[in-house]
Amino acid sequence: MLTDDEDDEYDPDAESDGGVDEFPEIDADSDSDEDEGEEDEDFSGEEDEEDEEESSSEDSELESDYHVGPRAKTVISGITGQPKKVYPEIEPDYDSDSSTEEATNRVGNVPMHWYDDMPHIGYDVNGKKVLRPATSDELDKFLATVDDPDSWTTAFDKTSQQEKPLTSEELDIIRRLYAGENPDAEYDPYEPMVEWFTGKGKEEVMPLSAAPEPKRRWIRSKWEKQKIMKIVRAIRAGRIVPNKPKTTSKFEFYSIWSSEASTSAPPALPAPKTALPTNAESYNPPEEYLLTEEEKKEWEEKDPEDRERDFVPQKYASLRHVPAYDRFIQERFSRQLDLYLAPRVQRKKLNIDPSSLIPKLPSPSSLKPFPNYQSLKVSHPKGRARCVSVSPDGAWGVSGDEDGVVSLWEVNVGCEIKRWKFEGKIGSIEWCPRQDISCFAVGIEETIHILVPPNVDSAILSQTQALLVPATLAPAASTHPSVKWSSTSASSWSVDKPMLSLTLPQSSGVPTQLHWHRKGDYFASVSTGGASQNGVWVHQLSKRHSQAPFKKIKGSVQAVLFHPTQPHFFVATQQYVRLYNLAEQKLVKTLMPGIRWISCMDVHPSGDHLIVGGYDRKLCWFDLELSEKPYKVMKYHSRAIRSLHFHPTYPLFASASDDGSIQIFHSRVYNDLMTDPLIVPLKILRGHQVTDGLGVLQVKWVPKQPWLASAAADGTVAVWCS
Amino acid sequence: MGRLKQKGKAGAAKNFTTRTQAVKKAAGIFPREPRNKKKANKGSSAPTSFYYTKDIAYLAHEPVLNKLREHKAFAKKLSRALGRGEWSAAKSLDENKPVYRLDHIIKERYPTFIDALRDIDDALCMIFLFATLPTTARLPRALVENCARLAAEWQLYVLHTHSLRKVFFSIKGVYYQAEVMDQTITWLIPYSFTQSVPPDVDLRVMLTFLELYQTLLGFVHFKLYTDVALVYPPPLDAKKDDGAVGVGAFSLQTAESQVKRSVEKIKTVDIDGRTITGKDVRQTIKSISASGQQQDPDAEVVEVEERNEEEEAFIPRASTSQVASDLPTLQSLSFIPASTSSNLFTPYTFWISREVPRPIFEFLIRSLGGRVGWPASSGSGSPIEEWDDSITHVIIDRPPIEKEETLAQRELRSRRKYVQPQWVADSINAGKILLEDIYSQGKPLPPHLSPFGDHVGAYDPTVEPELADDVDMSDAESEDVGSGDEDADAGKDTVEAALESVTEDPAALRAAELAAEAAGMDYGTFEARVKKASKKAASKPPKPVEEAEQDMNKMMMSNKQRKLYEKVKHSRQKRTAEREKLETRRCAIQKDKSKRHP
Repeated sequence: MLTDDEDDEYDPDAESDGGVDEFPEIDADSDSDEDEGEEDEDFSGEEDEEDEEESSSEDSELESDYHVGPRAKTVISGITGQPKKVYPEIEPDYDSDSSTEEATNRVGNVPMHWYDDMPHIGYDVNGKKVLRPATSDELDKFLATVDDPDSWTTAFDKTSQQEKPLTSEELDIIRRLYAGENPDAEYDPYEPMVEWFTGKGKEEVMPLSAAPEPKRRWIRSKWEKQKIMKIVRAIRAGRIVPNKPKTTSKFEFYSIWSSEASTSAPPALPAPKTALPTNAESYNPPEEYLLTEEEKKEWEEKDPEDRERDFVPQKYASLRHVPAYDRFIQERFSRQLDLYLAPRVQRKKLNIDPSSLIPKLPSPSSLKPFPNYQSLKVSHPKGRARCVSVSPDGAWGVSGDEDGVVSLWEVNVGCEIKRWKFEGKIGSIEWCPRQDISCFAVGIEETIHILVPPNVDSAILSQTQALLVPATLAPAASTHPSVKWSSTSASSWSVDKPMLSLTLPQSSGVPTQLHWHRKGDYFASVSTGGASQNGVWVHQLSKRHSQAPFKKIKGSVQAVLFHPTQPHFFVATQQYVRLYNLAEQKLVKTLMPGIRWISCMDVHPSGDHLIVGGYDRKLCWFDLELSEKPYKVMKYHSRAIRSLHFHPTYPLFASASDDGSIQIFHSRVYNDLMTDPLIVPLKILRGHQVTDGLGVLQVKWVPKQPWLASAAADGTVAVWCS
Repeated sequence: MGRLKQKGKAGAAKNFTTRTQAVKKAAGIFPREPRNKKKANKGSSAPTSFYYTKDIAYLAHEPVLNKLREHKAFAKKLSRALGRGEWSAAKSLDENKPVYRLDHIIKERYPTFIDALRDIDDALCMIFLFATLPTTARLPRALVENCARLAAEWQLYVLHTHSLRKVFFSIKGVYYQAEVMDQTITWLIPYSFTQSVPPDVDLRVMLTFLELYQTLLGFVHFKLYTDVALVYPPPLDAKKDDGAVGVGAFSLQTAESQVKRSVEKIKTVDIDGRTITGKDVRQTIKSISASGQQQDPDAEVVEVEERNEEEEAFIPRASTSQVASDLPTLQSLSFIPASTSSNLFTPYTFWISREVPRPIFEFLIRSLGGRVGWPASSGSGSPIEEWDDSITHVIIDRPPIEKEETLAQRELRSRRKYVQPQWVADSINAGKILLEDIYSQGKPLPPHLSPFGDHVGAYDPTVEPELADDVDMSDAESEDVGSGDEDADAGKDTVEAALESVTEDPAALRAAELAAEAAGMDYGTFEARVKKASKKAASKPPKPVEEAEQDMNKMMMSNKQRKLYEKVKHSRQKRTAEREKLETRRCAIQKDKSKRHP
């Protein structure tokens, strides 16, 4: 802090921070230069060297106007006879400078954060600790700014850790720095120039060098002349026009199309013209074009892209009432965006009769016979009719339901002849295709029963018995141990009992599909829903032998089929159909129907075509000679396809679906490899009810007749006749 | 093993570039539609616009691009000079600033004049729009003035050649359609209100287009004007223009010297069939317009003969060269019948009232040969005064006011026809002078219909709806039956039953005829019945069995076909629904009206 008496004097040391004001404590006796320098360093570490020098030489040069502290008196020394400065004695009383100070910090030029954790902030001249002054909090600071009008003239002093007021000189320096002026108030930028070399008597008379004047000082440059002459000649010849005519933005139009096109490249497609306005755009349209309130609201709610028209039709009584169209510029702009952002493609506009797109197929009436109507119904009152099968002579039908009831009925009349009751669900039922014997296989939970219908011709019955319960059993050496064959002897057999039973391994699930080989000796069974993954078995009646053809198979098997003419075997997993050669024990083909989950399949009697149905409603027709991809994919049922069957003799096939309908197709297959098979949809048979989301579960054709038997989830079995 | 093929380095992926990539290099070329978008976009199916890579490579050599780069350098130099206060340097820089020309682009994009003419619809719309916009910092005055000049030049040309064909007052503006060199050109002019550029419109894009359009129209006008032996650009009388004379401020001058020059030029140009000589076209147009202006039938005959001679002189030349079918030749042009509508208003003189927009109606009437006058409040330069005796029609758009009239005024009034503006447009579109009575001052106007038509099978308000007729007829019949005798009723029933089978074979028709005779029906009514029955049979939906069969056949369609089928069906249904909606609404309105005014 500067003392009051110094305020009116300029103090160059004021530039440095507030350490200057401690100067008066210098002892008058220690008046050497060295001491002073030391002291300078002591009290103000931030002073630079120049200051130091200045202060060290202050005695000699700037004595007159450079005073810090009390003024010294110059006295002639009594000892040396030289004049010497004598400073007034510093009294340790109230008046003295140091006494007005609080303990001054003499810590020197050290980083103040060293003292951050200390209670003191340094040491005074006596080596006593200077305690940290109480710091004011933000509120106090704020109050200080409000209360004290001079608070803005204070600055934080690091050494004393306090706010100290600035002197008017310091404020002036700050103002000057702020204004971009020289901080030194004394500095005069417009000092009169002191002439050193010009003016009277100050001229340099003698040359600096004795070298003779070079020629170039007074002779024109030859090369310059040559260059100039070159330009002059060019100007004369008109090669350079000195004042080029100014370029004008306006250019003349000329007959641009009188010459041939320069590029051979074909021009871009011309932009399509905008659609011409229709009656609705008129300022006075017929009244029927005007929108009703609802239509207007609908128009407003739609996004501009979705609107059919970009304007609302309006009717004005006269032309003078028509206002400006507010979207005019936007429309021009969007047209331009279309012009340069939209790709230009020439599209053929189709103007065709949509009915010409429907394939022309022969009329169903020309493709008769096919089943037309429901002729009879057999009911299974207690459960869903799961499966149905018709005897090879076409006289008898058997059907099984989920309640365990198997019923035998006449196809012509529909009269139930016999009823068997088993424990557990009936999964599948299939009549043996042999004509000389009469029996059918029934798949019930983990067992397969071979049943013989009642009232069979005795010759056939004996043959059947001879096959199923032969007098001497063949040695069953290679029989799979897990499948047990058991039969009732001819004497103890009655119609109610199965003549032969096969017990499949434990927890193998319900045999959902049974399929006889055309010769009637082998049959295959597929069990699903069991614990074991592999549910495919091939059983041989004559040898009482069962085998699992696949040790391991990828995916769960959905259905299997014997090829009608060759020793081939179709296996449908969830997504693929594989064709194996049983004789050579190898994979022949993998068909990829593109169905997510195959439900059923059937092979054409010729063996060259296969149809596959899926739970995703697709039906795929494969030409086995042609490709591994389907020849035709159709999707016409509204629910999953459950069952497919080719008619053994007629060119018909049927598909049953969960939507409760049966679709009959005509499917003519040609021997000629070049002709595609002809598939004609013939009839949709409706009549079964959909119960619990399930519709028709199985369809089977009646051999030798264009009739169809169907088992449905509503507990009925129907026969459809032509 | 060959070299490994990297994905995205060949085929569609290489041939197409996305928009962002293209813009990085150069913009201004049309996007293309790749055959397989996914391949072109390197496996991504996100919506993008594609450009041919080769198109972009071609663009990189565009001379304009180089000029633009030069301009960029110039802008830097100029701003530097200005920043340093080097005024003279800045001035000389500004004097030599690079200017690009677009004529090679016009030539490249429109190899023939017809190509250019076919594409000027959008250009005209833009020019006419910008001619009316207020000048701002972004829209310099010179630009707006140039647009106004181009617009006036186009109108002058159409006026001069009488090529206006159709006009339509819509809520967006006025649509005009002219036929120039066998090309129908339609343009839209907004009603004369002050438009302001909305903030969601990128003016830079519009100005870029406008720059091209100005150049295009300049060249097109040059060709059109020189082809009809006029000086281009037509000199503008600044004094008249200041007096808001409008189109009349330009004066058309025939240029003999120019004609000679162009003829010589044409002679040097090899006629290979792709270009038609301007001379031929000019001659033909001249002769057409001359014949159109000629009122004397004898003179017209002479004209035709002259033309035939010209033709004979021309024909051998035409046959030696291959004539492109889409280009107009002298023959095709000379056989165009001089349209009666092109001089529709020639006998009449019109007065345009002050509330009627003069620019529109002056253009309409003058391009059809009429004379026009207007009050001083709509601009100076009217050739006739309001009290002129030659005025036959007054176009007026305000309700009539009862007021005291002097005898002279009443007489004047009785000699003139006072029509509403719509009469002019409807007459032009009809190609004949329509009856003025329904359009007279203050009367409710008949609907103003679009002369451009609609798609085939759309609702036509001029055709009386059949459905309504049928209903009316049957209503009348039932009333008749109610009032008539009872036994005739029974007879009619048998006739009706016989008529059911009429459509199948002639024998049945004869039987029905006999039945009608027996019932005592006269032949006229019988024939009407037969017609009605056959119509009914035609409109009756096909038998349900066939429909079911067709439905079943649908399942044999491929997926693509089915989608197309559904689409076509849907659009047809939508159209018919729209039509039926309008028809029923019209019936309802008519019924409503007849109830109110029985």
